Amino acid sequence: MKLLTKTSLNFISASVIFFLLGSVAMYFSVRNIIAEDLQKRLLQEKKEFFFNADKNKLNDLKSKLVFIQITDKDIGYSFSDTVLIVNNSYILYRKLTFSYLVNEQYYIISILKNQSHSDLLIKKIVIMNVGFAMLFFLIMFFVNRHSIKSALSVFYSTIRKLEDFELSKIQSLSLEAAEVQEIKKLNEVFEKMATQIYNDFEAQKEYTENVSHELQTPLAIISSKADELMQGENLSKEQMEQLALLLETTNRLSKINQALIFLTKIDNRFYTQEATFSLNDLIKEKLQIFDVPIKEKDLKLEIDLFEITHIYMNPYLAETLIINLIKNSIIHNARGGVLRVHLSNNVLTFSNSGSPLSFPEKDIFKRFIRSENSKKNLGIGLSIVQRICELYTFKITYSYISEHQFKIIFKNK
Amino acid sequence: MLKKHNILLVEDELELARSTISSLSKNGFSPFHAKNLKSARKLLKQEKFTAVLLDLGLPDGDGMSLIKEIKNTKIEIGLIIVSAKDALENKVQGLELGADDYLTKPFFFSELNARLKSVIRRLNLEENRQLTINEITLFPEEMRTMIHGEMVELTGKEFGLLLYFFSNPNRVISKTTLGEFMSSSYDDYGFSDDVVYTHIKNLKKKIANNGGNDYIKNIYGVGYKFTLE
Repeated sequence: MKLLTKTSLNFISASVIFFLLGSVAMYFSVRNIIAEDLQKRLLQEKKEFFFNADKNKLNDLKSKLVFIQITDKDIGYSFSDTVLIVNNSYILYRKLTFSYLVNEQYYIISILKNQSHSDLLIKKIVIMNVGFAMLFFLIMFFVNRHSIKSALSVFYSTIRKLEDFELSKIQSLSLEAAEVQEIKKLNEVFEKMATQIYNDFEAQKEYTENVSHELQTPLAIISSKADELMQGENLSKEQMEQLALLLETTNRLSKINQALIFLTKIDNRFYTQEATFSLNDLIKEKLQIFDVPIKEKDLKLEIDLFEITHIYMNPYLAETLIINLIKNSIIHNARGGVLRVHLSNNVLTFSNSGSPLSFPEKDIFKRFIRSENSKKNLGIGLSIVQRICELYTFKITYSYISEHQFKIIFKNK
Repeated sequence: MLKKHNILLVEDELELARSTISSLSKNGFSPFHAKNLKSARKLLKQEKFTAVLLDLGLPDGDGMSLIKEIKNTKIEIGLIIVSAKDALENKVQGLELGADDYLTKPFFFSELNARLKSVIRRLNLEENRQLTINEITLFPEEMRTMIHGEMVELTGKEFGLLLYFFSNPNRVISKTTLGEFMSSSYDDYGFSDDVVYTHIKNLKKKIANNGGNDYIKNIYGVGYKFTLE
């Protein structure tokens, strides 16, 4: 729920409850005030009656609304409601009954006052009140809504900027200046955080580069010395073989280093430039590069690239993804086996012949996991594949049903 | 005999520089060494160079600036960046500035020889249209091979291998080095030795079938050597 909707709903529900309670309370209090007023006027008429009764005969005071009866005792005075039928319609009256002593004879005097007028008055007052209050609430609602909206506009712009925030592109958020204290504070915190994140990112990038540089240079020295030694004239066969092994190991170390740096770079969101391109073309192009090893292993290629599938991602990572998948399905293929590539509906599968894994299936994407008979491989290619898929939230799965199969479901943006 | 090409090596790592210089000398080049940008600039003024091997991270600045300076002089000098920085943007930037090639450390000397000779060939198109060793002649531009004056059909990979051997005569080339060379288009980890073995076997067969000498010697467990004696 939006903040604005939430506050508006709160406002409306609170208004309705208080308005209903207030209306009921007002109705009763107005009725009370008018009833009291009526009673005061009846008491006033009682005074006037006593005053007139002294001068005139009692019977002369009788009227449509003044009734006189004889009684034998003093009953004090009391108020009550009564209904008279006048011209076939019921009319509500307020009645004051009191006793009057004249010539040692008690009389009951009843004075009536029409109440229907005051009832109408109450109705009018209540209706008017409800109308004004509703109008007032309506105006308040819109004024309130508008003011919250304008106060929050900076807040919304901050949210939009945070949504678009891309580490490698922006150094600071450059948020709008806010008038509201809280939002101002919030923006300050965000700005500080963004700068901090950016600095950390830069530092990490630099660290990765340094590690690469610092390790590769000594490796280059070792490798160059071994290479130089190998050119010597009077080396025994054994010495030559050891130097060759030294070269191979150094090369392997350097490749592991490069692969780990590459994984770190993916984790650090280093490859952020993205583009849309055809996956079909990329697969075809990369399969061509592997022409030689495919022939060498006498593999049967089955390629079904049904629909043109466009993906949006970093081209270098896409290349690496495809290359690693192809390489994996060649290296772990059986001699004379099958290499199947299938693409349709954003689903890419790579299948290849070969004996089942010698380790649990769930470990297949782990670093440095490799089967018994492929100790020469680095065991890092599939980790890279999985990392790239994770980065773009592509789903990758492995299964083995008479052949190895990797399945990637690409998400189309 | 070909004239000796002057090569300037700009490298701050002294041990690496020493090995590189020794390897360059053995390969018929005349190498000069500069350990920073300042002495590189000085040497560039004093001598005439065919090519420069340039490290990027130098104590007195970024090697990239030297590329611009060399390109501004309009003198044709081959430029190969040799850097431990493997980042793609470095390669792109270097090549955009006018470098002819980019080699990532650690590298193999035979690879450096091959790249250096390829850059020099491209710079001197007229005098190097063809490379001849005894009965074998290569035409790198057209990727054609002739043995005893007869055309021989080689695959792209086989031609590449032969050219590689031509750049490294009498040099022991380890199977790791050749594996790296063969899989350079996969841009990482080397392939099995089998691929290298199969290709060399085919290449040797084709040379022998056309009456060529068996120059490519297999050193078991180590690698190969293109022997001329």
